[in-house]
Amino acid sequence: MVDEFGNLWVHRLKWAYLLLIVFSLMSPVFYVMYISFNENGFGAAEYVLTLESYSLIFSDKLMMTALQWTLSLAFCTTVVVVPMSILAAKFYKATRYKVLTVFLLLSPLFVAADIFGAALLVYFKNLNLMFTSVAEATGLSFLSGWFELGFITAWIGLIIYTIPYAFIVVLITMGRYRHEQTEAARACGASGWRAFWDIEFPQIRPGVFSACAFCVILCFNEYTRTSLLKGGFDTFTTVLVSQMLNEGMSNESYAMSSFVSFTAIAVIGSIILYTLIRSESLGQVARAKAEPNMAG
Amino acid sequence: MSSAEKQAPGRSNAAAGEPEGVLVPRLQSAAFVLPVTFMVVFFALPVALTAVWSVFERTMFWMEPGFTLFAYENFFTSARLINFLASMYHSFISVVICLILGFPIAVFVRRRIPQVAQHRVVLLFILPFMVSEIIRIFALRPILQRNGLVNETLMNLGLISEPITAILYTPTGVVIGEVLSFLPFVVFSGFLAMEAVPKYIFEVCDDLGAGPYRTFKDVILPLAAPGIFAGSVFIFVNGIGVALLPNTLGGPGAVNAGLIATQAITALDFPLAMAVSAIMMGTLMLLLYIGHRLFNLTHILDPIS
Repeated sequence: MVDEFGNLWVHRLKWAYLLLIVFSLMSPVFYVMYISFNENGFGAAEYVLTLESYSLIFSDKLMMTALQWTLSLAFCTTVVVVPMSILAAKFYKATRYKVLTVFLLLSPLFVAADIFGAALLVYFKNLNLMFTSVAEATGLSFLSGWFELGFITAWIGLIIYTIPYAFIVVLITMGRYRHEQTEAARACGASGWRAFWDIEFPQIRPGVFSACAFCVILCFNEYTRTSLLKGGFDTFTTVLVSQMLNEGMSNESYAMSSFVSFTAIAVIGSIILYTLIRSESLGQVARAKAEPNMAG
Repeated sequence: MSSAEKQAPGRSNAAAGEPEGVLVPRLQSAAFVLPVTFMVVFFALPVALTAVWSVFERTMFWMEPGFTLFAYENFFTSARLINFLASMYHSFISVVICLILGFPIAVFVRRRIPQVAQHRVVLLFILPFMVSEIIRIFALRPILQRNGLVNETLMNLGLISEPITAILYTPTGVVIGEVLSFLPFVVFSGFLAMEAVPKYIFEVCDDLGAGPYRTFKDVILPLAAPGIFAGSVFIFVNGIGVALLPNTLGGPGAVNAGLIATQAITALDFPLAMAVSAIMMGTLMLLLYIGHRLFNLTHILDPIS
């Protein structure tokens, strides 16, 4: 390893570059946060610390309603996407059509939001027309309105958007699981569900929780597909963008942006911390188990 | 893996001859196919149907079945094509900048950082990626504008006497926005690509006295090519498809395919919006096909298979 770290300064320089890139990527967000606490707003000569902009967004009824819709969408999406990702990952492991499966599940990453949002919007409008026609022709009135733009269509759009991320996270975690354990559990008489819940799930739990966190954050952040598919209600980002486009960046806009960013950073920061603490504690357990052998 | 195992996971229960009825194993098998079916119905089908809807006749508020190439003619014989090609050019520049800035990080993490810490370092790049893209893009406005952070800092340092106005509301602003939005993806895909380069290969190169440039050109690049290509396609396609970037940072002249599609929907010209979507999907498929023929993109899956 002497060669690899032969020139310590070059190594440090590379680390500095890496951190500089992370800081550069985060700098717009940090700057927005900095402005959000200034009573005088952007460009003011004097910086007066305040939390007033934050209290304004929480007393805004439109904003609170939008927040409720966003939370509902995030909750419903997570509840569907995470189990679907687990099923998809298990299917991927077992199927012989791996390339096709992974292509289908990861393709939404490669299709730009506006392009896919437009395609889905027209698809839902056509489905809605078709269902309404069938309802009118058959008298089955419950069929009409299924795909009218609203909560369900926005929800489907978010499921398609978040599933690739959750799938990758679950698949990577599942990659460390040894299938022989399930086979042993089944040989001992455990049902398929019990083998999964008692043996496999505890081992993939960190990945499942990470997938949940990613889903919630991505739903909170998503704008394009939701704005095209949501119909009549507003989400946090659609209110934020319409405010920013119509009124420019107001103090409230800065506070809203910072609030969303703080939430995302807190969640991801918690995951990073949890991962660090968990790997450290697992390391300690492994070292403690290895000690008697080493002594022997 | 045996052939029985290679079937849908739920089927192995039935094969084991458990005292469950026929319905339960079938439902289990169906459950495993559910995500793929969902993706076919709500992703593959709408995307494929864009080609069909793009040749429909436009009506006042909607469209009706028929066959006309008017939407394509509208796209290819107007300024939209020039704008589309310009957005491709800017997107290509963004890809090159992202690769120059981001890929060395992936190589550094893979080559110089101990295995146990590698994923934690990559997690650092999740942080900016998880902050809303909209916020990151809008936040660039106060940074890049006339009295923004960049101009203020440069003027305070005495490097410029007048604020630079050519950054925001120009193609430069769009490229900066694309680089800041998509750079984490190059690090992720680069890191995944570097999984295909075993660590001992660096030692072999060092032993043979190959310099960093030769190692990169003749060893790293061919092995990591599928991952690099996938990351590049992601940035390129999103660069020409995300409407918010030119809309927020590019000023009046900046238009890309995503913006053309959303403007067409606002104008209730659904066939045009679908034609643009179909062209985008065609571009994506063509790029992926070329990439697959050149680099065999299935190698990207090796680390997670």
